[in-house]
Amino acid sequence: MPQILLIEDDPHVREGLEIALRHLGHEVLARGDGEAGIAAICAYEPDVVVLDVMLPGADGFEVCRRVRAFSAVPIVMLTARSDDMDVVAGLEAGADDYLAKPVQPRVLEAKLKAVLRRVGPTTTTQPAGPVVFGDLVVDRASLVVTKGGRHLDLTPMELRLLLELAGNPGLVLSRQQLLASVWGQDYLGDSRLVDACVQRLRAKIEDVAAEPQLLRTVRGFGYRFGP
Amino acid sequence: MTARHGSLQQRLLRGFVGVGLVSAVVASAATIIGFLVVANQHPIGANRVGRRLTGWLPSTPSTQEVVLALTGIGFLLVALAVTTALSIAQRVLRPVGDLAHAADRMATGDLSVRLEPEGNDEIAGVARSFNVMADNLDRSVSTLQQLESTARRFAADVSHELRTPLAAMTAVTDVLSAHTPGMSAEAARATRLVVSEIGHLDRLVSDLIEISRFDAGTARLDAELVDVRAAITSSLEIRGWRGEEVQVEAQPGLTAHLDLRRFDVVVANLVGNAVKYGRPPVLVAARREGGDLVVEVTDHGPGIAQQALPHLFERFYKADAARARSDGSGLGLAIALENARLHGGDLQAGNRPGGGAVFRLTLPGEAEAGELR
Repeated sequence: MPQILLIEDDPHVREGLEIALRHLGHEVLARGDGEAGIAAICAYEPDVVVLDVMLPGADGFEVCRRVRAFSAVPIVMLTARSDDMDVVAGLEAGADDYLAKPVQPRVLEAKLKAVLRRVGPTTTTQPAGPVVFGDLVVDRASLVVTKGGRHLDLTPMELRLLLELAGNPGLVLSRQQLLASVWGQDYLGDSRLVDACVQRLRAKIEDVAAEPQLLRTVRGFGYRFGP
Repeated sequence: MTARHGSLQQRLLRGFVGVGLVSAVVASAATIIGFLVVANQHPIGANRVGRRLTGWLPSTPSTQEVVLALTGIGFLLVALAVTTALSIAQRVLRPVGDLAHAADRMATGDLSVRLEPEGNDEIAGVARSFNVMADNLDRSVSTLQQLESTARRFAADVSHELRTPLAAMTAVTDVLSAHTPGMSAEAARATRLVVSEIGHLDRLVSDLIEISRFDAGTARLDAELVDVRAAITSSLEIRGWRGEEVQVEAQPGLTAHLDLRRFDVVVANLVGNAVKYGRPPVLVAARREGGDLVVEVTDHGPGIAQQALPHLFERFYKADAARARSDGSGLGLAIALENARLHGGDLQAGNRPGGGAVFRLTLPGEAEAGELR
């Protein structure tokens, strides 16, 4: 049973979401503020964190950044406003996905399923095993990524995106294709998820993130991986 | 008002009288001089003045030379009169021109335009009145704009405030629904009612927030190259519209730069309305016309009442005031239009000659040579 940590300050929303998540068969831990939430992540190592943006004290973005400093646990942001600014800020802070309140239980379940999905073999013609791109080594069997011999800490989403891209070197993959294959979302998913994840991935695998040599943007089409 | 009127005439009169007087004096002087010179040449009664005058001249002038001199003076006089008249006309007409120019600018919506009245005549008076009018207009318009933006912000704030309690309720609707089989018939009915109305409230609040984003100018276009037919088909499939009820007509390979989510909102809204208010079959036809992508949604229903056509895209507009509340928020078409405009396009409604409503979405875009992977 996957364990979900819910960080939400409004007691009624927290209770409602707790009831809904338990009804869906999850084990739920609930905390009312960011500090307690971070402590719970350290103590219980949940499978996924559902994090509200509007929190007293440290807000959701700050909590997200602090968690990312020590953990790659999947984080789904709950944005009360679903403002474009909030969504982008949340994804930049390191969230894997976001949900606009009020959340339909079915939508919540679908998102959780997507981020909880285990990293498995991707649809690719490439054989499993290490693939080398310059000083970047992606080992598809052990799911270990190293750059210059140093081990890279990737979140499950970043790893899945890298495996998908590295599995199709030289091909342009559209953001919609990546949303479907990596996030498991239908075609109406938010393609900013892809853009934000690409940014985070570049910061880890590129020499200079602003001048990507491996993970390139093909304007108007999508992304291409390869030297 | 009469005094001011008099002063314009006075100003013109002064100018023309001045020109006339100067001309008269110079002309008289020229005539006298000419006469004296001529008289001196033919000494029928030459006097001292004549003799002295002829003394200045290089030699005794002939009649021809006198006529030439007089013609020269005449030209000078005409030139003087014309220059004076022009300068007066310009002095009088410039403020009138400024006024006309300012009025033109105001007509095009520039409420900041002001004049600089000079002097005390009625043109200056009109300029001052113009400035007062412009000030008042400017103030009224900005007050109205302020009121409107306050109203819109209020709607946005209220929607945001409603979200939190709605979030708590929405979260538990599935749990409630799952337990209705174990409830008494009455409790189950009440539960279903509550669950369904929470859904309705949820759609209303979401749509209010969506439209407030357009009002605030924070709506962003996230366009990419998409296959139009695939996009339309997906929108229909997600909502369970297929086959004979809703048909799609689009060339395979027709692509366009679209914000998929926004395009879906428009298609879903138009098809939803056609299914609800029109009669099947509903046809969604996409094609390229010139450089534009055109998507037409037609149905075979009774069409749209003529008096409703101009108001269809207004918020909360109901074609029939007595019509029962529908599932929609009343904002669907307004949101669809905003989405079309965000693409730089337009959305129009009309009726087919043979009956049935037509909604025509036009999205501008260069013809796509790119190949979609």
